[in-house]
Amino acid sequence: MPELNPILIRDLRSRMRGARAYILLTIYLTILAGVSLLLYVAIAGSVGSDLNAGREIGRALFFTIATVALIEVCLITPVLTSGSIAGEKERQTYDLLIASLLTPWQIVWGKLASALAFALLLILAVVPVMSLAFLFGGVGLTEVLIAIVGLVATAILYAAIGLFWSALMQSSLGATSFAIGTVIVILLGIPFLIVIVTLILEPSALSRLLESLWFIYISRLFISLHPFIALGTTASQLSSGESPFFEVVRTGTANVVVLSPWLLYAILSLIATVILVASSVRHIHPVQPESARRRRARSQDRQDVLGERVSKR
Amino acid sequence: MTAIVETRDLTRRYGSNLALDHLNLTIPEGAIFGFIGPNGAGKTTTMRILTTLLAPSAGEARVAGVSVVSDPRTVRRLVGFMPDFFGVYDNMKSWEYLDFFGRAYGIPAQRRQQLIGELLELVDLGHKRDDLVMSLSRGMKQRLSLARAMMHDPQLLILDEPASGLDPRARIELRELLKELRALGKTIMISSHILTELAEMCTHIGIIERGKLLAAGEVQQILRSMRPHRIVEIRIVSGAAHAEAMLRTHPDVLELRREGARDTKENESEPLDDATGPHTLLADFAGDEHALSELLAALVTAGVRISHFAEQSGDLEDIFLHVTTGIV
Ligand SMILES: Nc1ncnc2c1ncn2[C@@H]1O[C@H](COP(=O)(O)OP(=O)(O)O)[C@@H](O)[C@H]1O
Ligand SMILES: [Mg+2]
Repeated sequence: MPELNPILIRDLRSRMRGARAYILLTIYLTILAGVSLLLYVAIAGSVGSDLNAGREIGRALFFTIATVALIEVCLITPVLTSGSIAGEKERQTYDLLIASLLTPWQIVWGKLASALAFALLLILAVVPVMSLAFLFGGVGLTEVLIAIVGLVATAILYAAIGLFWSALMQSSLGATSFAIGTVIVILLGIPFLIVIVTLILEPSALSRLLESLWFIYISRLFISLHPFIALGTTASQLSSGESPFFEVVRTGTANVVVLSPWLLYAILSLIATVILVASSVRHIHPVQPESARRRRARSQDRQDVLGERVSKR
Repeated sequence: MTAIVETRDLTRRYGSNLALDHLNLTIPEGAIFGFIGPNGAGKTTTMRILTTLLAPSAGEARVAGVSVVSDPRTVRRLVGFMPDFFGVYDNMKSWEYLDFFGRAYGIPAQRRQQLIGELLELVDLGHKRDDLVMSLSRGMKQRLSLARAMMHDPQLLILDEPASGLDPRARIELRELLKELRALGKTIMISSHILTELAEMCTHIGIIERGKLLAAGEVQQILRSMRPHRIVEIRIVSGAAHAEAMLRTHPDVLELRREGARDTKENESEPLDDATGPHTLLADFAGDEHALSELLAALVTAGVRISHFAEQSGDLEDIFLHVTTGIV
């Protein structure tokens, strides 16, 4: 039987031994439960007791929980990985890993897997609360499944973002700052650009654009980069009775079929994750074989200088 | 003996700074090789190249005939490295620390368990098996680090300044440990900027300064080759001025110094005054035993009163000072 990744085993061992993991999990669940309770109290009073009350409470509860969980996943997962490789550099254990028989891929994968194991634990913890909303009615199984896929895709991508910065930077503080910065740029930058575009375009130009095929594709792709917009759009499409997998956009001349934003989001996340993980692997530097080394001699030199400065501390 | 480490014109630059300058180093199998040089001489750089952590700028480095550049993986299997710092993981027990690196070197589970026990015993940490690594003393961490470097049974151990920062007792323990390792058939390369740390335990030494190898070889051979003449220490109670004049003109005395002259900046041209107390002279003497006894007889016959006349035991420290002429 092949053995599990050594880094994964070690990280899980020490993560579960420390109190930090439990504190984090407790805070995370407390926020979720608190928000749900507040919402329940607020809504239960206002909707009265007619037949639809349960359904409305269920829907509100579900979307609130999904949103809060998504926010938490967006913020927690990059932090889980951003300290991982940079932390080895800080603790001066990085050289020992490189000098061992571990491959760069094993190092990166072990770090990613141990963070994902914990992130999945966070997501799994939401499922019972979501099922509660499911019991109230008003939410279908499709919605619950899509929400979980969205959470998992987000966890993987945002963990990969943290990992990428961790492989690049020399300190955990630097890596964490850049990882959180990247998350903020994605989450706030995309809506900002959307607002800007709609503001500067004249209404006539906008309606002409809405007819063009490439604009339809590009705009769908663009909003599918943002977890909240992609999943929110999907939710509203589902409630207006569209298929969970594709959307038919009617222009004056034809009907254009595009993938549902959540599906597009999951696919784009996967592609971005692969790219980020691959470039993380490339940043784990052992000695380069002679030919490759010469090609990279200049940048390599610079990196060695940085690497050594840290290990000298 | 075959060479386990061999470098040919090994050169490493950091920008414009030449850290290693055409280094040609050979370490025979089974040696305890002391790599000695002042801070910044290039010891760590050499060791990092040999452990595949750093690429050479030019030249070649081979471990057991394997190039560190073209086949780093094989080299990693052959080399155990203990850097000049100790990397600590939070929340990790001693045995887990070794277990992790055992896994990292792909050692099968059963063998790993057995090895951890054996190595912890070897480095005298059997009783610390379940203690957190963080809680160990500096000397213990050092020994654990050594056990870690041994996990994959490497042929060559590269230890970068292992003795620095250790108290005398821990240092002695380390020395004993190295002897045991040598008995196990390991070749050991150990660096230090303090010569006396290594003097007694090495079979071979190499002296490096500013990236250049100044001398290398068996300790005894180096002692001989670096010191073709002896230094005679003469303490004179009276007649010092006369003795000095005699020695200066003696054909076998290559150089004559007054002890402490360098510190006091005493004017060497002024004759020595017996009233200022006994004086000690140091003579670089090129002659043999007979010539030396004749010199003593001549001095005594001339009425010089001598309280001490002895050859200085040449030790590594002198050679070190002699070779590294205080450039750094
Ligand atoms: N990462 C680095 N960047 C620039 N210069 C370095 C770096 N590492 C070492 N040097 C320089 O290389 C020379 C040799 O250093 P080093 O091998 O660490 O010496 P030692 O281990 O003998 O004290 C020194 O002049 C040092 O300043
Ligand atoms: Mg050094």
